[in-house]
Amino acid sequence: MRKLRLIALGVCLIGLPTMCRAENKCAWINEATVSGLLGGEAVGAVAEQVAGQPAVCEFTQHNESGKRTLRLTVEIAGDAHARLVASAQICGADAVPLRAIGNEALICAADEHKSQMGERLVGRVRDQVFTITISTTLKNDPILTRDEIKSRIYTAAEQVSGNLF
Amino acid sequence: MRRTPSVLFALAAMTAAGYCIASVQAQQDAATPAPPPAYTPPLKGAPPVEDTPAQREALAQWKAKAEQRLEADREAHNAVVTPSYNFHYGKETPFTPGNVQVQGEGFLQPGAYPTADYCGTCHQEAYSQWRHALHSNAFRTPFYRTSVNLLIRDKTRGIAFARHCDSCHNPIGVLGGALTEDSKVDRARFDSDGLTCTTCHSVVSLDSTNGNASIKMGVPSVIVDEKGERIPGMVPFDMILKHPERHSKAVMHDFLHTPEFCAACHKANLPNPLNDYKFLRAFTAYDEWQQSKFSQRNPLTFYTADFTTCQGCHMKRNANALPDYGAKNGTFASHRWLAGNTAVPFYYGFDEQLKKTIEFLRAGNYLNVDIFALKRANSDDLIAPLGKASYSLAPNDAVEAYVVIQNKNIGHSLIPEVRDLYEAWVEFTVKDDDGKEIYHSGFLKPDGMLDPRAHSFTNRPVTDEGEFVDNHKVWTIHSVAYDNTVPAGRSVLVRYQFRLPANATGAVTVTAKVNYRHLRQSYLNNIFGKDHPAYPVVEIASRSRVLKIGDNAPEADDPADNPEWMRWNNLGIALLDQFQYADAVRAFTETVRLRPTYADAYVNIGLTEIAWEKYESARLAIRRALVLDPKSARAHYYDGLLQRRAGNTEQEIADFRTVVDMFPQSRDARRELGITYYQQNDNPAALEQFEALQKIDPDDLTAHYNLSILYRRMGMPKQAAEQQAKFVDKKVDPGAPTYSLNFLRAHQEISTESIPWHMHSDLDNDAGSPSSGR
Repeated sequence: MRKLRLIALGVCLIGLPTMCRAENKCAWINEATVSGLLGGEAVGAVAEQVAGQPAVCEFTQHNESGKRTLRLTVEIAGDAHARLVASAQICGADAVPLRAIGNEALICAADEHKSQMGERLVGRVRDQVFTITISTTLKNDPILTRDEIKSRIYTAAEQVSGNLF
Repeated sequence: MRRTPSVLFALAAMTAAGYCIASVQAQQDAATPAPPPAYTPPLKGAPPVEDTPAQREALAQWKAKAEQRLEADREAHNAVVTPSYNFHYGKETPFTPGNVQVQGEGFLQPGAYPTADYCGTCHQEAYSQWRHALHSNAFRTPFYRTSVNLLIRDKTRGIAFARHCDSCHNPIGVLGGALTEDSKVDRARFDSDGLTCTTCHSVVSLDSTNGNASIKMGVPSVIVDEKGERIPGMVPFDMILKHPERHSKAVMHDFLHTPEFCAACHKANLPNPLNDYKFLRAFTAYDEWQQSKFSQRNPLTFYTADFTTCQGCHMKRNANALPDYGAKNGTFASHRWLAGNTAVPFYYGFDEQLKKTIEFLRAGNYLNVDIFALKRANSDDLIAPLGKASYSLAPNDAVEAYVVIQNKNIGHSLIPEVRDLYEAWVEFTVKDDDGKEIYHSGFLKPDGMLDPRAHSFTNRPVTDEGEFVDNHKVWTIHSVAYDNTVPAGRSVLVRYQFRLPANATGAVTVTAKVNYRHLRQSYLNNIFGKDHPAYPVVEIASRSRVLKIGDNAPEADDPADNPEWMRWNNLGIALLDQFQYADAVRAFTETVRLRPTYADAYVNIGLTEIAWEKYESARLAIRRALVLDPKSARAHYYDGLLQRRAGNTEQEIADFRTVVDMFPQSRDARRELGITYYQQNDNPAALEQFEALQKIDPDDLTAHYNLSILYRRMGMPKQAAEQQAKFVDKKVDPGAPTYSLNFLRAHQEISTESIPWHMHSDLDNDAGSPSSGR
């Protein structure tokens, strides 16, 4: 038994800092909510914030023909507005500011590669900066269309920013 | 790096515009709603459509399936939610410290509630108004979330305690078992809709007028069958359109039109299970209304008015702009619930809601501002009322201005409810001919904070350490250092002292405004940090007067001014509340002079003299009132008090009985009559009065105290113990004033606000008033 625990710990440590699969204890959005947003049962994993790295919650909903993902990062920043600007640089000119999400927020497309469609939202609540990415690798995803992703990422952002306030 | 400028530009635009761009309204209303399904309303008086046997059978099958589906879903939901749910207060009370209850066993799944989109198909006007109103945003706003999150994060409390707040702000979440540490509930299904259509319209009974969501939620249903039995869930629209009367029966209970329904949430207390201290009344707009002239339940109001409910002011019928099958003659009861909240529409960019809210605040003749009198330093002569009196002013005169602010037509206090967050105050300015400021009280500082010495209609709740509860951590409240809100129908006198410049010529203009802001700046800072745009400040009412240096003659009335007798009467009311009994009697005597047949003016003199313990002259005034108006319940009430003092028990009982017969819901008359019977050892009669009183006001301490004794005497120990426990829990903590004093001692800049008779001054005068204004 002790040996098993050590092996488990070892696996966990090797996995760090990416993701240590743990209980669903994401403080800002729960698994049931993300399951609803991703259109199927999603499994979450959490990494606490460590120096220089934000806290990460990643939820995946596996499907026969691909996967849907919601990834959330949260960090506290000294100059949070500047950090938000830096985080949003990846959006470039496509960034669309959003009203009524936290203190400020932006949204843009996050199509990392051809086989993945997604949206990214960067927001701030006081000194806390968060990013949410929802993406799908399903070809012609019947649930997560571009418009649906935009709508659902907004809902996710309301959940996250609401819990950060 | 190449991309940075565009991002910066976008964010700069947001910040400069005080946000931006893709507004929530646009996001939520982007699609033009499809036209509702075709519908021809039945002719007025036409009988409901009769179903054929086959249709009845089909409906019965639908109902059976709907019930089966609901029960199966509920069972499955409970199987997921219950094992990890935090039953902090026991399995039997899963929603404590809220009072909300639900029909049936266990938690009710959020999917049981027909969605607002569904209702909005036929009720497009209602949907559109609701989406921008406070009820739909009851949960999600930063203003609420910041506060409730503090409770959730509190080390000795946590999310289970938040059921107290969310029972009203997010009942679907509470009843669905979402408020627990490891929630298994999909919150995206309901959080953004706060109080959706089928929360209010699914309530099946009001448990009491205790507040804190004292309702029972039914299993949501939008139609009943021919026997009046509820069919759960959403049904095809043609089913509703064929039987609109059955739809009404399911969703339109009569109590929806009553103030008692609003009381379920517009009355709140802080119970011991929340604060681990004792019962404290948080707010009660309902009781304030019940004590106002608009309820016609209280004979002791200073003025009278037509009966008006909460809905009468906050749900006025308007012509509908969008199709709505609930409209009658082209009008629909407003689902905007216009009131004072400008912060939510400002944050979300609901411009129409914001505009209408501001119009609402400025309309309705809610307040009267009266620059009533002047007094020169070192003189006892009151120059009053301004506009009628002749007087002269000289340069360098130190002048005291009396500003009387009347809560004239609000059915509750100015300001109601969360008065530690909402901010109304008097802005008083004196300017010379060139517009140069001579005196200014109630200004906003560059950081947005209100002049700390402004006269504000707020309160200051404090902790047991005497610290101001700045961030609405209501569970830490132990006392209230002061509460300067103005009850419905009453008036307040605010006094300002300033000196005219030595070189003054021409005239000076004095202006008194009542401003309102939602919310206090330091609370906004708690929510957003300091980098947020300035939130709207609304001028609700104002009055200016020009004071000439030299001689001033009487001038024409402003159409908005109260008649002269009422101006004196309001001054008297304000002085009475500030314990200036002699001056109050003088003011009421002026009312008598101007309106000699007005019985209430004599009652006002009498009740002031009772408070002043001048019973003989009080008796003369009340007698005079009864001669003028023998049916005056108000005069009979005070006569009853005087008869008690004189030992005329029979007349005392007769007086109070008269009042109770005329006003069965008069809590004061019930209380006094109960006391009289108690003193006469007429236990059954006393019991009847105190039980009736408790039905009107479940928190009345006199009722708790006397009922505990009466029940014991009558061999009902269980009920006696219950009343005793409630009395002990609700009575004022004798230590509470100490907490308040600790706060006031540490905050001298506003400590004078706790003294009813105080002056706002920038002069170092004999009275030693601290300076204020600028």
